[in-house]
Amino acid sequence: MSRVWLPCGHYHQSYAKDQGWWQTPVIKLKMLLLLGIVLLGVPLLLPGYWVGVCTIIGYTAMGALGVQLLIGYTELITLGHGAFIAVGAYTSTMLVLHFPWPEVLVDLGLAYPLSIVVAGLFAGIWSVIFGLPTIRVKGFYFILTTIAAQFITVDLILTQYVSKIGGRAQSIKIPSDAAKIGPWTMSGDVKPYLLMAVLLILMVMVTANLLRTKRGRAWMAIRDNDVAASTMGINVFYHKLLAFFVAGAMAGVAGAFWVSNTSAMSPEHFPWFLSLKLVGVILIGGIGSIHGAILGAAFWVLVGEFLQMGVLPLADYWPNVLMSFTFLKTAFFGLIICAFLNFEPHGLAYRWWQIKNYFNLWPFSY
Amino acid sequence: MLQTSGSSQSTPLLQLKDVHMQFGRLAALSNIDLTVRKGEIYSIIGPNGAGKTVMMNCINGLYRPQQGDIYFKGSRINHLRPYHRANLGISRTFQKIELFGGMSVMDNIRLGRHIYLRSGVLSGSFFLGKAKREEIETRRIIEEEIIDLLEIQHIRDKTVGMLPYGEQKRVELGRALAMDPELLILDEPLAGLNLEEVEDMVRFIMDVNQEERWRVTCILVEHDMGVVMDISDRVYVMSFGRQITEGTPAEVQQDPEVIKAYLGEEDIYATRK
Repeated sequence: MSRVWLPCGHYHQSYAKDQGWWQTPVIKLKMLLLLGIVLLGVPLLLPGYWVGVCTIIGYTAMGALGVQLLIGYTELITLGHGAFIAVGAYTSTMLVLHFPWPEVLVDLGLAYPLSIVVAGLFAGIWSVIFGLPTIRVKGFYFILTTIAAQFITVDLILTQYVSKIGGRAQSIKIPSDAAKIGPWTMSGDVKPYLLMAVLLILMVMVTANLLRTKRGRAWMAIRDNDVAASTMGINVFYHKLLAFFVAGAMAGVAGAFWVSNTSAMSPEHFPWFLSLKLVGVILIGGIGSIHGAILGAAFWVLVGEFLQMGVLPLADYWPNVLMSFTFLKTAFFGLIICAFLNFEPHGLAYRWWQIKNYFNLWPFSY
Repeated sequence: MLQTSGSSQSTPLLQLKDVHMQFGRLAALSNIDLTVRKGEIYSIIGPNGAGKTVMMNCINGLYRPQQGDIYFKGSRINHLRPYHRANLGISRTFQKIELFGGMSVMDNIRLGRHIYLRSGVLSGSFFLGKAKREEIETRRIIEEEIIDLLEIQHIRDKTVGMLPYGEQKRVELGRALAMDPELLILDEPLAGLNLEEVEDMVRFIMDVNQEERWRVTCILVEHDMGVVMDISDRVYVMSFGRQITEGTPAEVQQDPEVIKAYLGEEDIYATRK
């Protein structure tokens, strides 16, 4: 018995095969096709604007994946994840612009990739600091400390101190050749997209693998029943901090990626609303599912885009609509989240799973 | 079993010495002294609210007694946290099932092997050599030793929260066994089961106690007197947080104090008439 539908009469004969990712040739083909679409199809076939939209989807999904890890798999509800994205973004910016890199590394285009790694580690550690209260507080009180993470990090440290480094008051200008990986400068639409795709694929892989090994199972055990988890030999506090580290590191990498996709770094890119948005994304996508983070991000960004396209023609008749669009959009997303909680509480991932199951048995449904 | 008497080697595995535990002004446990020997089935019985589960929580580390010492394998474990005690070889099931409801049966039992897994975050995140080998070995052990023993092949990929009560109890036993414990605390393993399930569960308990592969010492907290008297090596009777008596099932059954605790005092009824 396997979690995967095997063709009639086929059986796995080793545990290794039964635990493999891509268990049948059909699945392998599907996954390779998906990879092909993500890495080749999108950049080659879509117009530049839509490649940019896909980049935003990926950026949102990278952030949402960390939130998914915390909320969906460890049940540490966080409303301050944007802070760690900001920490990653600023670490990377500062490193790229102000760190005295050896000439060799800059020439080889390694400065930016290294800064991504450092940004991930630093954001992870930063996130662990704000995870420390988990040893004593739970539930609502803990949510409050994560909100504190947002305001201490972004509104206090980044806005008041870090942003002023280099003399400018608010935003830090990033030269177009700052983000350079190997011979490629991250400019235009396609290159940041490809960087995003590679990072996102890596993150999905890491998350999925962690969830099927020791640490990930420990997180889910803590989510479901922390008392029983501790009697199973799981050090609950350590694993909660580890979840914070991994989620923070992912946020840091996402933030460091943002450097390649923007021309100026400003604390306004990481408002509290970003943290709330990431929670909304996984609510729509489905809590406790990796698909959910990605589907939710795609849904959120695409709906925003279509909304904008729908609103533009209205501007002729109702000029105010463009002025109030930001508020309308937010209100609309609020409605969508309410609708999802009522009518599809398991999110898009669950719908996707149902569709998949339907077609597995199609046309004979029983 | 009385006949086979696995408790003849009388090495003490667990000792409670003068344990005292108080919630506010209510003494849940007072002056508890007991010794569990290696290899035996040691039953603890008593009326509801006697403090049996509190005692289990003290042994397991979820509660810390205010007074007294708990020794496991000769060393004092009072200060150790529950996860540390699990590493020493104390495993338990709960009266009210405490499984990880959102996970599959397989993953629940895999969690029991948590203390034996050594791979770190990095090899785990890329499923590299060590993590992979370890996962597959874990799977083998679980499939061949636990799932096979408990006869739960048909539900191994189901989500635990969806299973009927009897099967959940069985999965919980499986999870506790996956830890390869030396001491297994069974807190009312038979509560709420039907006759057939009770027979199965008792068979499993006797299997893990007697088979060469397991040889697990069991502490059994149970209200089903038929089962307790049949399978226990020794029985400890408590009421209102105090010891009433301790001894073999036959001795305990004859004890007038026990009869009083369970059936009440005769003169009370006499005065009511």
